[in-house]
Amino acid sequence: MMRLADDPGVAAFRTEFAAFLDAHLPAEAEARERPRSSAHVPGWARRWQRTLFDHGWLLPGRPPEYGGRHATLPQQLAHLEELADRRIYHSFNPQGLGIVAASLLTFGTEEQKARWAVPILRAEITAALGMSEPEAGSDLASLRTRAVLDGDAFVVDGQKIWTSGAHDADVLLTFVRTDPDAPRHRGISALLIPTGTEGVVRRPFGSIAAEDDLDFNEVFLTGVRVPRENLVGPLNEGWRVANGSLGHERTLLWLSYAERLADLVRDAAGRGDDQEWYATLQMDLQALRLLGHRRLGPDRDPAEVSVLKLLGSEAVQNASLHALEAAGADALPHPARTGPHHHMNNEDFVSSWFERYARSFAGTIAGGTSEIQRNIIAERLLGLPR
Amino acid sequence: MEFELDDEQRLLRRTVRETVAKVRGRPEREQWATYLRLGWLEAPPLELALVLEELGYAADPSPFLATATWFVPLAGRLPEGSGTAVFDGHGRYVLDADRADEVALLTPDGVTVVPGAGLAAERIPVLDPRLHVARIRAPGELVAGVPDLALTGLAATAVGACRKVLDLVLAHVRQRVQFGRPLGSFQAVKHKAADMHVAIERARALTHFAALTIAEDDPRRTRAAHMAKAAAGECQRLVFRYGLQLFGAMGFTWENELQYALKRAQACDLLLGTASAHRKALLS
Ligand SMILES: Cc1cc2nc3c(=O)[nH]c(=O)nc-3n(C[C@H](O)[C@H](O)[C@H](O)COP(=O)(O)OP(=O)(O)OC[C@H]3O[C@@H](n4cnc5c(N)ncnc54)[C@H](O)[C@@H]3O)c2cc1C
Repeated sequence: MMRLADDPGVAAFRTEFAAFLDAHLPAEAEARERPRSSAHVPGWARRWQRTLFDHGWLLPGRPPEYGGRHATLPQQLAHLEELADRRIYHSFNPQGLGIVAASLLTFGTEEQKARWAVPILRAEITAALGMSEPEAGSDLASLRTRAVLDGDAFVVDGQKIWTSGAHDADVLLTFVRTDPDAPRHRGISALLIPTGTEGVVRRPFGSIAAEDDLDFNEVFLTGVRVPRENLVGPLNEGWRVANGSLGHERTLLWLSYAERLADLVRDAAGRGDDQEWYATLQMDLQALRLLGHRRLGPDRDPAEVSVLKLLGSEAVQNASLHALEAAGADALPHPARTGPHHHMNNEDFVSSWFERYARSFAGTIAGGTSEIQRNIIAERLLGLPR
Repeated sequence: MEFELDDEQRLLRRTVRETVAKVRGRPEREQWATYLRLGWLEAPPLELALVLEELGYAADPSPFLATATWFVPLAGRLPEGSGTAVFDGHGRYVLDADRADEVALLTPDGVTVVPGAGLAAERIPVLDPRLHVARIRAPGELVAGVPDLALTGLAATAVGACRKVLDLVLAHVRQRVQFGRPLGSFQAVKHKAADMHVAIERARALTHFAALTIAEDDPRRTRAAHMAKAAAGECQRLVFRYGLQLFGAMGFTWENELQYALKRAQACDLLLGTASAHRKALLS
């Protein structure tokens, strides 16, 4: 079906959520304490997430016991669009909610859901994702962190890196090698490692933006004993968990790029002498939204999501570069404000154009680089040989 | 918003592709008669865009594009036979004016329809051997006013032609072996193919959106048409360069059917303002 209006079921859902947001948004005075990292959630933001959970507006596609209301995929999209339009987040621990809890709900046991997923959803604890290693980035299947079963526990040794928010997180969803003799993809398992466990050492380090912008972590794991019941999914099936969790995350991930593009449309208007790039930016945003809606069908090829990620992240980077060039030397002072004040995610806009451009590389690197997305498109969608 | 083609629309696309392939090589009159008989000229905007994509895919030689998206929106009716229109204010490059039965002219007093034969139209030789472009000598004063559908129609045609280029390239790089491997296994080739695909998807989405806004007479329709035309132009620019390059010398020959799709795509960008002109229009 092609039409400009929402389906009536989606329209009613949207109206109801909008009314809820108007009634429950945290007040400005309340939101003064800012999150320090992607796993640090201030008290007011925890209460906000909990309110969403209690009313079934946190992950509307899930059943009520997991903060949802059995919403359809188009309704879930409307939910995220309404949040994005107001520039607010449903959680300040996005990887905890979108990847770790989502994986547990798909692959976890009932006990794991109750013990870990629900507390993450209710913002009682936060989580980080330990996939990448110094020697395993794009080539994730080459990961080396070892886990050896010893009685009723795994003993884990190795190192993770880039683990966003690990120093503020209560638990890590960690991918480890449990069968070194199996083919690369078959010997991997997923383990929940509480960060307080003996042998877990986290060292946060600065990002390109500032030495004290601490989200990245190195995580050293030395003789860490993890109870066997923390295994997520079957032994040696971690690759399926990795793909499943990221797959779930990716379906609507394009919205975060659409949000960035919408910010740029708002903040970069009228900049520079030659503004054709500004028209391109508007086209990119419109095309991304259209393609995002088109990809909601049940017969969607998961590789189609790569089209959205590549288009969205590259468009953000292109537009940020143009805005930077349009600002010229005015882009140098740092920090600077390039967007309007918004009390719920103010830090996004206390950024010079230089910083915004630098930060756009998170989109083209994290979650599968642009080059990897092109490989996927060429091989899986266009059928070119490996 | 809902943005998924339904089964009927998918079927239409398949039917058009098969029909066009079947009548290929037949006399032009016969091809044209087939299109009329199947009612494609009366298709609503979105379905029309799908038809045009397929005609662009085939680098169709008929006057369908000008009739459906130039004449009809101006004249407000179907022509007797084929049609075209002059809405650029001068009539220097008019699609199919040399062979249209009726021509709609945009004048200071509104639209007048005149018989094509009376305009002394002169076909202009162009690089695309199947494209008819002519200059007319207007009987009176003309004004400019390009219909949204005309821009959308050129965009849809370009998108179809670009898809054809990509399909030909994919078939070529899968089977041609150099250095002991199919060309398509080289990453420099893969990444170009992926970028072509994304550019086509982007332009196609914006073209369908433009058609949809016309169908629903949405206030965004003119902006959407500029976006579609600009995106199709940007798309063909990339697809032309990568497409011809990846064929090697084979792409540089007259024999290769690649030339028709390349030329059709580029011509669609050049007519009624290139991508840059439409980006500028979006800014004003
Ligand atoms: C902001 C940010 C947050 C992150 N958060 C997390 C997190 O929370 N948890 C986590 O586990 N990881 C995280 N990561 C890591 C991220 O997943 C990796 O950076 C990513 O997978 C790429 O790996 P790499 O950095 O080692 O780059 P490499 O794999 O070393 O790649 C370097 C360059 O080589 C190119 N390249 C690599 N392989 C190929 C190939 N086959 N073909 C063509 N080109 C290739 C890449 O595209 C890239 O341009 C984060 C990264 C960033 C930037």
